[in-house]
Amino acid sequence: MGEVMTAQGRNLPGDDSADLREIGFRSLDFSELALRVEDELGDELNFDAPGLRRIATVGDVLDFIEQLQSA
Amino acid sequence: MKSDLVPPASVVLVSGGSRGLGLAIVTDLLTAGLKVAAFARTVTPELTALGEKYPDHLYYGAVDVNDAEAGQAFVRTVETTLGPIDGLVNNAAIGQDSLHVHTSPDQLARIIQTNLTSPLILTRFVIRRMLAKGLKGRIVNVTSICAQRGFPGLVAYSATKGGMDAATRSLARELGGRVLANAVAPGFFASEMSAVLGQTQLDQIVRRTPTGHLTEPDDVVPVVRMLLLENTNVNGQVLAVDGAASI
Repeated sequence: MGEVMTAQGRNLPGDDSADLREIGFRSLDFSELALRVEDELGDELNFDAPGLRRIATVGDVLDFIEQLQSA
Repeated sequence: MKSDLVPPASVVLVSGGSRGLGLAIVTDLLTAGLKVAAFARTVTPELTALGEKYPDHLYYGAVDVNDAEAGQAFVRTVETTLGPIDGLVNNAAIGQDSLHVHTSPDQLARIIQTNLTSPLILTRFVIRRMLAKGLKGRIVNVTSICAQRGFPGLVAYSATKGGMDAATRSLARELGGRVLANAVAPGFFASEMSAVLGQTQLDQIVRRTPTGHLTEPDDVVPVVRMLLLENTNVNGQVLAVDGAASI
Protein backbone atom coordinates (compact mmCIF):
# COMPACT_ATOMS: atom_id res chain seq x y z
CA MET A 1 0.00 0.00 0.00
CA GLY A 2 2.90 2.26 0.81
CA GLU A 3 4.43 1.58 -2.63
CA VAL A 4 1.23 2.57 -4.42
CA MET A 5 1.00 5.82 -2.48
CA THR A 6 4.70 6.60 -2.83
CA ALA A 7 4.43 6.13 -6.61
CA GLN A 8 1.84 8.91 -6.54
CA GLY A 9 3.95 11.20 -4.39
CA ARG A 10 2.01 10.54 -1.20
CA ASN A 11 2.80 8.84 2.08
CA LEU A 12 1.06 6.01 3.85
CA PRO A 13 0.01 7.15 7.33
CA GLY A 14 1.17 5.02 10.24
CA ASP A 15 -2.30 4.91 11.78
CA ASP A 16 -4.49 1.98 10.65
CA SER A 17 -7.60 4.00 11.39
CA ALA A 18 -6.67 6.68 8.84
CA ASP A 19 -9.65 7.42 6.57
CA LEU A 20 -8.98 6.48 2.94
CA ARG A 21 -10.90 9.49 1.65
CA GLU A 22 -8.79 11.82 3.74
CA ILE A 23 -5.52 10.36 2.49
CA GLY A 24 -6.73 10.26 -1.13
CA PHE A 25 -6.61 6.48 -1.53
CA ARG A 26 -9.28 5.73 -4.11
CA SER A 27 -10.83 2.51 -5.37
CA LEU A 28 -8.46 2.48 -8.35
CA ASP A 29 -5.53 2.71 -5.96
CA PHE A 30 -6.95 -0.35 -4.26
CA SER A 31 -7.13 -2.09 -7.63
CA GLU A 32 -3.49 -1.20 -8.27
CA LEU A 33 -2.58 -2.65 -4.88
CA ALA A 34 -4.55 -5.84 -5.59
CA LEU A 35 -2.80 -6.23 -8.95
CA ARG A 36 0.59 -5.87 -7.28
CA VAL A 37 -0.42 -8.56 -4.78
CA GLU A 38 -1.54 -10.73 -7.73
CA ASP A 39 1.93 -10.41 -9.22
CA GLU A 40 3.40 -11.72 -5.98
CA LEU A 41 0.87 -14.53 -5.65
CA GLY A 42 0.85 -15.43 -9.34
CA ASP A 43 -2.91 -15.77 -9.15
CA GLU A 44 -5.85 -13.58 -10.11
CA LEU A 45 -7.79 -11.82 -7.36
CA ASN A 46 -11.33 -11.04 -8.41
CA PHE A 47 -13.93 -9.52 -6.09
CA ASP A 48 -17.22 -7.67 -6.33
CA ALA A 49 -17.67 -3.96 -5.82
CA PRO A 50 -19.78 -4.22 -2.62
CA GLY A 51 -16.81 -5.67 -0.76
CA LEU A 52 -14.76 -2.69 -1.81
CA ARG A 53 -17.39 -0.19 -0.72
CA ARG A 54 -17.13 -1.39 2.87
CA ILE A 55 -13.45 -0.48 2.98
CA ALA A 56 -12.99 2.86 4.67
CA THR A 57 -9.67 2.85 6.49
CA VAL A 58 -6.07 1.80 5.97
CA GLY A 59 -6.69 -1.12 8.33
CA ASP A 60 -9.69 -2.24 6.24
CA VAL A 61 -7.48 -2.35 3.14
CA LEU A 62 -4.84 -4.42 4.84
CA ASP A 63 -7.45 -6.80 6.30
CA PHE A 64 -9.12 -7.21 2.91
CA ILE A 65 -5.85 -7.96 1.15
CA GLU A 66 -5.02 -10.48 3.87
CA GLN A 67 -8.38 -12.17 3.34
CA LEU A 68 -7.79 -12.33 -0.41
CA GLN A 69 -4.37 -13.83 0.09
CA SER A 70 -5.65 -16.51 2.42
CA ALA A 71 -8.77 -17.33 0.37
CA MET B 1 -2.61 20.09 -11.44
CA LYS B 2 -0.59 19.20 -14.55
CA SER B 3 0.51 15.92 -12.94
CA ASP B 4 -3.12 14.82 -12.91
CA LEU B 5 -3.23 14.85 -16.71
CA VAL B 6 -3.11 11.58 -18.58
CA PRO B 7 0.05 11.85 -20.70
CA PRO B 8 0.00 11.20 -24.44
CA ALA B 9 0.19 7.52 -25.28
CA SER B 10 3.64 6.29 -26.28
CA VAL B 11 3.10 2.57 -26.94
CA VAL B 12 -0.23 1.80 -28.59
CA LEU B 13 -1.80 -1.57 -29.25
CA VAL B 14 -4.14 -1.69 -32.25
CA SER B 15 -6.33 -4.74 -32.72
CA GLY B 16 -7.36 -5.52 -36.28
CA GLY B 17 -4.43 -3.46 -37.54
CA SER B 18 -3.64 -5.23 -40.79
CA ARG B 19 -6.03 -3.57 -43.22
CA GLY B 20 -8.59 -0.82 -43.70
CA LEU B 21 -9.03 1.64 -40.86
CA GLY B 22 -6.84 -0.36 -38.49
CA LEU B 23 -3.92 -0.28 -40.92
CA ALA B 24 -4.46 3.45 -41.48
CA ILE B 25 -4.36 4.05 -37.71
CA VAL B 26 -1.17 2.01 -37.36
CA THR B 27 0.46 3.90 -40.23
CA ASP B 28 -0.54 7.27 -38.83
CA LEU B 29 0.73 6.54 -35.32
CA LEU B 30 4.05 5.28 -36.66
CA THR B 31 4.37 8.45 -38.74
CA ALA B 32 3.72 10.43 -35.56
CA GLY B 33 6.71 8.69 -33.96
CA LEU B 34 4.84 6.36 -31.60
CA LYS B 35 5.65 2.75 -30.92
CA VAL B 36 2.83 0.59 -32.20
CA ALA B 37 1.83 -3.02 -31.75
CA ALA B 38 -0.72 -4.46 -34.13
CA PHE B 39 -2.38 -7.80 -34.47
CA ALA B 40 -4.99 -9.26 -36.74
CA ARG B 41 -6.17 -12.70 -37.76
CA THR B 42 -4.02 -12.43 -40.85
CA VAL B 43 -0.90 -10.36 -41.34
CA THR B 44 -1.17 -8.56 -44.68
CA PRO B 45 1.67 -7.57 -47.01
CA GLU B 46 0.90 -3.94 -46.16
CA LEU B 47 1.50 -4.54 -42.45
CA THR B 48 4.65 -6.51 -43.21
CA ALA B 49 5.92 -3.60 -45.31
CA LEU B 50 5.32 -1.23 -42.40
CA GLY B 51 7.25 -3.60 -40.17
CA GLU B 52 10.20 -3.40 -42.56
CA LYS B 53 9.97 0.40 -42.66
CA TYR B 54 9.69 0.81 -38.88
CA PRO B 55 11.54 -2.19 -37.44
CA ASP B 56 12.14 -0.56 -34.05
CA HIS B 57 8.71 0.99 -33.68
CA LEU B 58 6.29 -1.65 -34.95
CA TYR B 59 5.66 -5.07 -33.49
CA TYR B 60 3.00 -7.17 -35.20
CA GLY B 61 1.67 -10.65 -35.37
CA ALA B 62 -1.20 -12.93 -36.34
CA VAL B 63 -3.59 -13.20 -33.42
CA ASP B 64 -7.31 -13.86 -33.44
CA VAL B 65 -8.95 -11.38 -31.06
CA ASN B 66 -11.17 -14.23 -29.87
CA ASP B 67 -8.14 -16.14 -28.61
CA ALA B 68 -7.73 -14.41 -25.25
CA GLU B 69 -4.70 -16.44 -24.28
CA ALA B 70 -2.87 -15.58 -27.50
CA GLY B 71 -3.88 -11.93 -27.12
CA GLN B 72 -2.47 -11.79 -23.60
CA ALA B 73 0.75 -13.47 -24.68
CA PHE B 74 1.01 -10.90 -27.48
CA VAL B 75 0.59 -8.05 -24.95
CA ARG B 76 3.36 -9.48 -22.77
CA THR B 77 5.69 -9.77 -25.76
CA VAL B 78 4.90 -6.19 -26.76
CA GLU B 79 5.83 -5.03 -23.27
CA THR B 80 9.25 -6.62 -23.51
CA THR B 81 9.76 -5.52 -27.12
CA LEU B 82 8.40 -1.97 -27.20
CA GLY B 83 7.70 -1.15 -23.55
CA PRO B 84 4.56 -0.98 -21.38
CA ILE B 85 1.36 -0.35 -23.35
CA ASP B 86 -0.33 2.93 -22.45
CA GLY B 87 -2.70 3.17 -25.39
CA LEU B 88 -5.23 0.71 -26.77
CA VAL B 89 -7.30 0.96 -29.94
CA ASN B 90 -10.02 -1.67 -30.06
CA ASN B 91 -10.58 -1.85 -33.79
CA ALA B 92 -10.93 -5.55 -34.62
CA ALA B 93 -14.47 -6.44 -35.61
CA ILE B 94 -16.48 -8.49 -38.04
CA GLY B 95 -19.36 -7.18 -40.09
CA GLN B 96 -22.78 -8.51 -40.80
CA ASP B 97 -24.90 -8.78 -43.91
CA SER B 98 -28.01 -10.67 -42.92
CA LEU B 99 -31.46 -9.88 -41.68
CA HIS B 100 -31.90 -10.82 -38.04
CA VAL B 101 -34.43 -13.54 -38.83
CA HIS B 102 -31.92 -15.15 -41.18
CA THR B 103 -28.90 -14.92 -38.90
CA SER B 104 -28.14 -18.19 -37.18
CA PRO B 105 -27.70 -18.25 -33.40
CA ASP B 106 -24.11 -19.39 -33.98
CA GLN B 107 -23.43 -16.39 -36.20
CA LEU B 108 -25.05 -14.06 -33.63
CA ALA B 109 -22.79 -15.49 -30.95
CA ARG B 110 -19.75 -15.08 -33.20
CA ILE B 111 -20.51 -11.42 -33.87
CA ILE B 112 -21.07 -10.71 -30.17
CA GLN B 113 -17.93 -12.61 -29.19
CA THR B 114 -15.71 -10.84 -31.73
CA ASN B 115 -17.12 -7.32 -31.49
CA LEU B 116 -18.04 -7.08 -27.82
CA THR B 117 -16.81 -9.84 -25.52
CA SER B 118 -13.29 -10.14 -26.91
CA PRO B 119 -12.59 -6.38 -26.92
CA LEU B 120 -13.80 -6.18 -23.32
CA ILE B 121 -11.50 -9.04 -22.33
CA LEU B 122 -8.55 -7.44 -24.12
CA THR B 123 -9.36 -4.08 -22.53
CA ARG B 124 -9.56 -5.68 -19.11
CA PHE B 125 -6.16 -7.26 -19.55
CA VAL B 126 -4.47 -4.11 -20.85
CA ILE B 127 -5.93 -1.99 -18.05
CA ARG B 128 -4.78 -4.53 -15.48
CA ARG B 129 -1.25 -4.28 -16.87
CA MET B 130 -1.43 -0.47 -16.80
CA LEU B 131 -2.68 -0.32 -13.23
CA ALA B 132 -0.20 -2.92 -12.00
CA LYS B 133 2.60 -0.74 -13.36
CA GLY B 134 1.11 2.45 -11.93
CA LEU B 135 0.59 3.82 -15.45
CA LYS B 136 -2.02 6.11 -16.88
CA GLY B 137 -3.34 5.43 -20.33
CA ARG B 138 -5.83 5.96 -23.10
CA ILE B 139 -8.37 3.73 -24.78
CA VAL B 140 -10.10 4.35 -28.08
CA ASN B 141 -12.89 2.03 -29.11
CA VAL B 142 -13.77 2.04 -32.78
CA THR B 143 -17.52 1.61 -32.87
CA SER B 144 -19.96 2.67 -35.55
CA ILE B 145 -22.73 5.03 -36.37
CA CYS B 146 -24.85 1.87 -36.42
CA ALA B 147 -24.84 2.04 -32.63
CA GLN B 148 -26.90 5.20 -32.80
CA ARG B 149 -29.00 4.75 -35.94
CA GLY B 150 -30.81 1.73 -37.27
CA PHE B 151 -29.82 -0.08 -40.45
CA PRO B 152 -31.35 -3.28 -41.84
CA GLY B 153 -29.08 -6.31 -41.89
CA LEU B 154 -26.94 -5.07 -39.04
CA VAL B 155 -28.94 -5.96 -35.93
CA ALA B 156 -26.29 -7.92 -34.03
CA TYR B 157 -23.46 -5.75 -35.34
CA SER B 158 -25.27 -2.62 -34.16
CA ALA B 159 -25.95 -4.18 -30.78
CA THR B 160 -22.25 -4.91 -30.26
CA LYS B 161 -21.22 -1.41 -31.27
CA GLY B 162 -23.83 0.09 -28.96
CA GLY B 163 -22.46 -2.16 -26.24
CA MET B 164 -18.96 -0.83 -26.79
CA ASP B 165 -20.24 2.76 -26.70
CA ALA B 166 -21.92 2.03 -23.38
CA ALA B 167 -18.82 0.29 -22.03
CA THR B 168 -16.75 3.32 -23.05
CA ARG B 169 -18.83 5.58 -20.84
CA SER B 170 -18.66 3.25 -17.84
CA LEU B 171 -14.93 2.72 -18.30
CA ALA B 172 -14.39 6.47 -18.23
CA ARG B 173 -16.31 6.65 -14.95
CA GLU B 174 -14.72 3.57 -13.43
CA LEU B 175 -11.16 4.50 -14.31
CA GLY B 176 -11.40 7.80 -12.51
CA GLY B 177 -9.44 9.88 -14.97
CA ARG B 178 -6.47 7.57 -14.79
CA VAL B 179 -7.35 6.15 -18.17
CA LEU B 180 -9.19 8.24 -20.74
CA ALA B 181 -11.71 6.07 -22.56
CA ASN B 182 -13.44 7.28 -25.70
CA ALA B 183 -15.06 5.86 -28.79
CA VAL B 184 -14.96 6.92 -32.41
CA ALA B 185 -18.05 6.05 -34.42
CA PRO B 186 -17.36 6.20 -38.14
CA GLY B 187 -20.13 6.35 -40.70
CA PHE B 188 -20.18 3.87 -43.52
CA PHE B 189 -16.87 3.41 -45.30
CA ALA B 190 -16.88 3.33 -49.06
CA SER B 191 -15.05 0.03 -48.87
CA GLU B 192 -14.98 -3.01 -46.62
CA MET B 193 -17.97 -2.88 -44.25
CA SER B 194 -19.98 -1.07 -46.90
CA ALA B 195 -19.44 -3.94 -49.26
CA VAL B 196 -22.32 -5.52 -47.39
CA LEU B 197 -24.66 -2.73 -48.44
CA GLY B 198 -26.29 -2.58 -51.83
CA GLN B 199 -25.56 0.30 -54.23
CA THR B 200 -29.03 1.70 -53.63
CA GLN B 201 -28.40 1.86 -49.91
CA LEU B 202 -24.98 3.46 -50.44
CA ASP B 203 -26.42 6.06 -52.82
CA GLN B 204 -29.13 6.85 -50.31
CA ILE B 205 -26.60 7.35 -47.51
CA VAL B 206 -24.46 9.65 -49.70
CA ARG B 207 -27.52 11.71 -50.68
CA ARG B 208 -28.42 12.18 -47.04
CA THR B 209 -24.90 13.09 -45.94
CA PRO B 210 -24.38 16.86 -45.78
CA THR B 211 -20.70 16.52 -46.73
CA GLY B 212 -21.74 14.43 -49.74
CA HIS B 213 -19.37 11.55 -49.29
CA LEU B 214 -19.00 8.35 -47.35
CA THR B 215 -16.47 8.15 -44.53
CA GLU B 216 -12.87 7.36 -45.42
CA PRO B 217 -10.22 6.05 -43.03
CA ASP B 218 -8.38 9.35 -43.49
CA ASP B 219 -11.36 11.12 -41.91
CA VAL B 220 -11.18 8.97 -38.79
CA VAL B 221 -7.44 8.66 -38.25
CA PRO B 222 -6.87 12.24 -36.99
CA VAL B 223 -9.64 11.82 -34.42
CA VAL B 224 -8.09 8.62 -33.07
CA ARG B 225 -4.69 10.32 -32.95
CA MET B 226 -6.17 13.29 -31.08
CA LEU B 227 -7.77 11.02 -28.48
CA LEU B 228 -4.49 9.18 -27.96
CA LEU B 229 -2.16 12.15 -27.87
CA GLU B 230 -3.83 15.46 -27.08
CA ASN B 231 -4.82 16.92 -23.73
CA THR B 232 -8.45 17.76 -24.39
CA ASN B 233 -10.24 16.44 -21.29
CA VAL B 234 -12.48 14.48 -23.67
CA ASN B 235 -13.46 11.36 -21.75
CA GLY B 236 -16.29 8.86 -22.01
CA GLN B 237 -17.46 10.30 -25.32
CA VAL B 238 -18.51 8.80 -28.61
CA LEU B 239 -17.32 10.98 -31.48
CA ALA B 240 -19.24 10.36 -34.69
CA VAL B 241 -17.27 10.82 -37.89
CA ASP B 242 -19.90 10.58 -40.60
CA GLY B 243 -20.28 13.96 -42.25
CA ALA B 244 -23.46 14.56 -40.24
CA ALA B 245 -25.26 11.74 -42.01
CA SER B 246 -26.74 10.60 -38.73
CA ILE B 247 -28.05 13.88 -37.34
